[in-house]
Amino acid sequence: MMNTMREYFAGIVNSLEHKLEVDPVQTRTARRKYALETARLGQRLYSGTERVAWCGVAAPFDLLNALDISSCFVEFVGANLAGSGMVSTFLDRAESQGWAPDSCAYHRAVMGAALRGMMPEPDVLVATSAPCSAGVATLENLARHFGKDLFVLHVPQTDSPEAVALLAQQIKEMIRFVAQRTGTTVEPARLREAMLLSNQARELLVQVYHLANRVPSPVSSNDLRDLGIVLPLFFGTQAAVDIARGYRDELLRRVDTGERALPRERIRLMWIQNRIQFRTSIERTIAHEFGAVIVIDELNDVTWEPVDPDDPWEGLARRMSGMPLCAPAEQRIRHLRNLARSHRVDGVIHPCHWGCRQSLGARGLIQQGLGEIGVPMLDLAVDCIDTRAFSAGQVRTRMGAFLEMLAQRPSPWS
Amino acid sequence: MYYLGLDIGSLSCDAVIIDGEGTILAWAVVPTGARNRRSLARVRAQALENAGLPADSVEATVSTGYGRDRVDGRLAAVTEITCHARGIRALLPQTRLLIDIGGQDSKVIRLGPDGRVAEFAMNDKCAAGTGRFLEAMSRALEVDLETLSDLDMGARSGLTLSSMCTVFAESEVISLLAEGVEISEIALGLNRAVAQRLRAMVRRVAPDVAGLPVSMSGGVAYNGGVVRALEAALGSAISIPEKPDIVGALGAALIARERSRQVR
Repeated sequence: MMNTMREYFAGIVNSLEHKLEVDPVQTRTARRKYALETARLGQRLYSGTERVAWCGVAAPFDLLNALDISSCFVEFVGANLAGSGMVSTFLDRAESQGWAPDSCAYHRAVMGAALRGMMPEPDVLVATSAPCSAGVATLENLARHFGKDLFVLHVPQTDSPEAVALLAQQIKEMIRFVAQRTGTTVEPARLREAMLLSNQARELLVQVYHLANRVPSPVSSNDLRDLGIVLPLFFGTQAAVDIARGYRDELLRRVDTGERALPRERIRLMWIQNRIQFRTSIERTIAHEFGAVIVIDELNDVTWEPVDPDDPWEGLARRMSGMPLCAPAEQRIRHLRNLARSHRVDGVIHPCHWGCRQSLGARGLIQQGLGEIGVPMLDLAVDCIDTRAFSAGQVRTRMGAFLEMLAQRPSPWS
Repeated sequence: MYYLGLDIGSLSCDAVIIDGEGTILAWAVVPTGARNRRSLARVRAQALENAGLPADSVEATVSTGYGRDRVDGRLAAVTEITCHARGIRALLPQTRLLIDIGGQDSKVIRLGPDGRVAEFAMNDKCAAGTGRFLEAMSRALEVDLETLSDLDMGARSGLTLSSMCTVFAESEVISLLAEGVEISEIALGLNRAVAQRLRAMVRRVAPDVAGLPVSMSGGVAYNGGVVRALEAALGSAISIPEKPDIVGALGAALIARERSRQVR
C-alpha cells in the first residue's frame, strides 16, 4: 500500500518537473512550483527512509525542518486522499472500525489510511490543542496505533505575556522531546538559519498578499488556494522562500502588465477556513456564470511578526496562538472583517465542514459580525473531504442563489 | 412579445407564459416523473396550448428548479430562490418573508423593501419537512395528499414525533397507527414537526419575524394543516397566492421578460 502512495507522489513530481522544464516561464509557474514542493514532501513522508513527524495544523514546522524531520499536519493526508479521488475507501475503513460517520472526514480519512497501512510510521507525533480537538484525538489514536510517543502543545487562546511564556516553554520542551525520540540534536546555528528563512518567507508573503489585493484581482480563485495553511510546512527551508518569491515575482508581473483573473470581474468573494479538497466545478462555474472570483482566503494572511532568530521561542508562541483558527471567535471575526474591508469583498463563503465543531461554533457569530459591516455570508453546509456526501446540485443552487443575490446588491464598499 | 418561465422541480414541472406587460396568459403543471426532458416538453406544449400560442411566439425562456440546466434554448438558468422571490413580488408585493416548500427542498427567503433577496436559508442533506416527506407520510397514513391537508382537524394535542428523518418518521407513523393512535393526532404531530423545522430556518434569516408580512409558495402551501401549524409556530398569518405552485415559474417568466429587454 505504501508503494501506491510513493508512486502517486512520484507521478505528480515527474509530471510537474516535466511541465516546468518544457515551459518554465508560462503563467502558472509559481503555483506549479508550490505543487511540486508539496508533492516532494509527500515523497519524503512516504519514502520509508526519512525521519517523520505527524503533527497538528499549528505546529512550528520550521523547528522540525531545522531538525531535518519531514513533518506534516495529518489533515494534509485527508486532503490528498480527497484530491486523488480515493478517499471513500479510507473513510469506509475507518467507519467499519467504529469511527462515527458524523466526525470530521479529514481525520476519518487519516485513520482509515493508518488502518489500511497507508500512513507512514512516524518517529514522533506533535499535536496542537488548537485549532481543533479532533486533530488531537486523531494524533492520540495514531500514536497508539504506531506505538510512538506524542507531545501535545496546549495553545492558549490569548497572547498575554503569561500565555506566551507558557507556550514558548512548551515549544522548547517539544523540541527536546522530538530530538530525543529521533536521535537528532538541535544545532543553534541551524535553528537560527531556519528562523531567518522563515522571516524571509514571511516578508515575501506580505508582498504576495499585498499584490493579490488589487481590484480587479490579479489572482484567480485557485492561484493561492490553501497556500496560507500549506506553506508553513516549508517554513525554515529555502523551499518556502522560493515558493513565496515565485508568487511575488509572478504577481508583480501580472500587476505590471495589468493581467487580471477575469475579463470582467463582477463579484469578489472571501472563502473562510479551508477549500473543498476534491475536484468540483465551483471555481470555474462562479467565474463563467457570475464573473465571481475568490480574492482572499481566511488563512492567506500574515498575522505574526518576524521571529527573533536568536531567541525565537516567544515569537513562535505568538505566531501559533495568533493563527486565525486558534484565536478566540472575537479575534477571528475582527480578522475576517479586516480582510473583507481590505479586499473589498462583496460576499463570503463559509463551507461549514460536516463534523467540524470548530466551524459550527463560530458560524452564526461570523455571519453576524460580517453582516454588521454589510457583507453577507453564505453558510455552505458541505463536507470538504467526503465525496460520498457531496451533492453537486445542492451546492450549485446555494452558490448560484447567493451570487444572484450579490449581483443585485450594491457593493458594500461603493 | 411572450415570455416563458419553466420550473423543473423534483415532483412537478411548471410553466407560465406572460405577455409583455407581465400578465399571466397561461400556466401548466405536470408531474416530473423519471424522464424530466419528456415532462419538460409536455409542460411547455401544454402551456402554449392553454395560451393559444405557437411555439415560435415565445421571445425568451428562463428556466429554474433543479433541472434548470437541461432546458434547451433558454435565455438563462436562474436559481429557485431568485425566481420565487421575483414571482411573489409580482403576486404579493407586500411580502418580506417567503417560505417555499417544494418537492425536495424548503427555503426561507427574506426580501428587502425592493422585493429583492436579502438573505435565504435552505434545508440541507435531508428532505425532511418537504413535499417528499409529506408524500411519504400520506402513504403511511393511506390517505391522499388532499385528505392529509385537513386530517389534523379535530386533533386535540398532537404528538411529538421523535424522528424527522423521512424514512424513520414513516416507520414511526406506522407504529403509532398500529398502537391505535388517532390519525388526526398523528397528522397534527407531522404538521408541527414540519413547522418546527421551518421555524428554525426562519429564525436564521429573520431573527425577529414579528411584523414581517409572510407568504408561502410551492406545492405544500396547498396543505392547510402545514400552513396552520406554521402560522401557529411563527405567530404570523401567512398569505398564499392563488396558485402557489407556479410562483417559481412565474418569477422565471418575469426574469425572461426583464433580461430580454436588457439584451435588446
